[in-house]
Amino acid sequence: MPPHLFRFDRSQKIMLNPYQVLGVAPNATDEEIKKAYRNLSRKFHPDANINNPNKEKAEERFKEVQQAYNQIMQERQQGSGGYYTGGFGQSRQYRSTGDQYAGNQESVELQAAANYIRNRYFQEALNVLNRMQERNAQWYYYSAAANAGLGNNVTAKQMAEMAVRMEPGNMQYRQLQKQLEYGGTWYADMGQNYGMPYQNFSSFCFSLFLINFCCSCC
Amino acid sequence: MFGYIKANRQQLSEKDAAVYQSYYCGLCQELKSRFGKKGQILLNYDITFLILVLTGLYEVDERQKEFLCALHPLKKRIQRRNVITQYAADMNVLLSAKNFEDDWIDDHSYAKKALYTLFQKDYERIREKYPRQERAVAEYLKKLSFAERSGEENVDAVAGLTGEMLGEIFAWKEEDVWADELRCLGFYMGKFIYLMDAYEDAQDDAKHHRYNVLNCMACDLEEDFETFSKLLLTSMMAECAKSFERLPILLHADICRNILYSGVWTQYEYLRLKQKSRKKKKADAASSLSV
Repeated sequence: MPPHLFRFDRSQKIMLNPYQVLGVAPNATDEEIKKAYRNLSRKFHPDANINNPNKEKAEERFKEVQQAYNQIMQERQQGSGGYYTGGFGQSRQYRSTGDQYAGNQESVELQAAANYIRNRYFQEALNVLNRMQERNAQWYYYSAAANAGLGNNVTAKQMAEMAVRMEPGNMQYRQLQKQLEYGGTWYADMGQNYGMPYQNFSSFCFSLFLINFCCSCC
Repeated sequence: MFGYIKANRQQLSEKDAAVYQSYYCGLCQELKSRFGKKGQILLNYDITFLILVLTGLYEVDERQKEFLCALHPLKKRIQRRNVITQYAADMNVLLSAKNFEDDWIDDHSYAKKALYTLFQKDYERIREKYPRQERAVAEYLKKLSFAERSGEENVDAVAGLTGEMLGEIFAWKEEDVWADELRCLGFYMGKFIYLMDAYEDAQDDAKHHRYNVLNCMACDLEEDFETFSKLLLTSMMAECAKSFERLPILLHADICRNILYSGVWTQYEYLRLKQKSRKKKKADAASSLSV
């Protein structure tokens, strides 16, 4: 995956009061958050502040509003804490797990991979991991995280599964695996309001064929 | 590639259905005005989804106009067009024309060569206007051909090619703050489309010993294949939907959600029903023989 695709700001720190920045309550609905974001970002957008004597301040606020919105949406989707977030290249604070392997020769390379992942250089992390001969549960954990970051969600799931299989007691591995599986339940829940196509058809019949055919024409 | 991204009409409200249709009509009219009648045959709902997402995100000014459709002359229709419709029409031609060229090169289909020649000038114009997107489509076809010919077994690697390509199409303006999130949405949608295509062609490809990444999976029973395929497809749509939900889209969000959570499964459900009835027929035939 070409690294230029991921231009998320790697230096962003966690905001302490994103809801305050947007001027909404912490229990505001997603719709209210989006409305608040749209209003504020429109107000502070650089294009709307060309003649503003305080345009640098406006740009600062614009970036703040952007960061607050992104943080809230990511937290809401994944729950706070935990390592990987949905999509790819999304920023999250990484919790260090290197301590258990102190003194192990391999840990140098695993630490390098962990650093790359923390800073969202996922391809570099994979390059380091793929050069390693020994592949323990930690290796599979990092591989899962790096692959998830690159959008290789199928491979990421398989790697996480391996990590859990090799070390079933490790809660961090289980948590990552759950986050990677989590998509399915979340998606099904969201889709409940919409039902499935052809759900009133118990079997295939000519009228179903006609509907499918006609729907594609108009 | 086209045909999977559409709405579940039965679940759309009358108002939403009218809005959805008006963007589709708008695309049709835009294709006609920029590319003539030959542009109109490229019309599809997938590109209409692109229009809905970008319009919802950027809330650009738009024109609504009544018009008389040549195919549906009994009642006046409403078309909605905006600057995003123009972009989408260009992308529509870009994707279609490149596919025609590809089919001509791969299968020596004269019909496709004729179609490609029809759009060649338009394609050159679009290439000049949108070099990033054109490069993405051209690279994609090359890489996909290579991956399929070398029998790539890694699902992410091969489906990801369609994803990368579609991501560039969704990222309308590269310097915009939402470009990367749009890329993400397009990326997982592209992977879904590729895998849906593979799922639809799996049996046929197996019979004719053609490459199909889903057939590369070690599946002993048919049930495993079905379960795993459904899991893969759901995984892609889940990530795609999550990306959509992260975007601050309010306008037409309900129509987009109908498509993302329900409509995209239309062809899949259709195929499953067909399979079920085929199996039932076989079982009935077998049991009547044994009587």
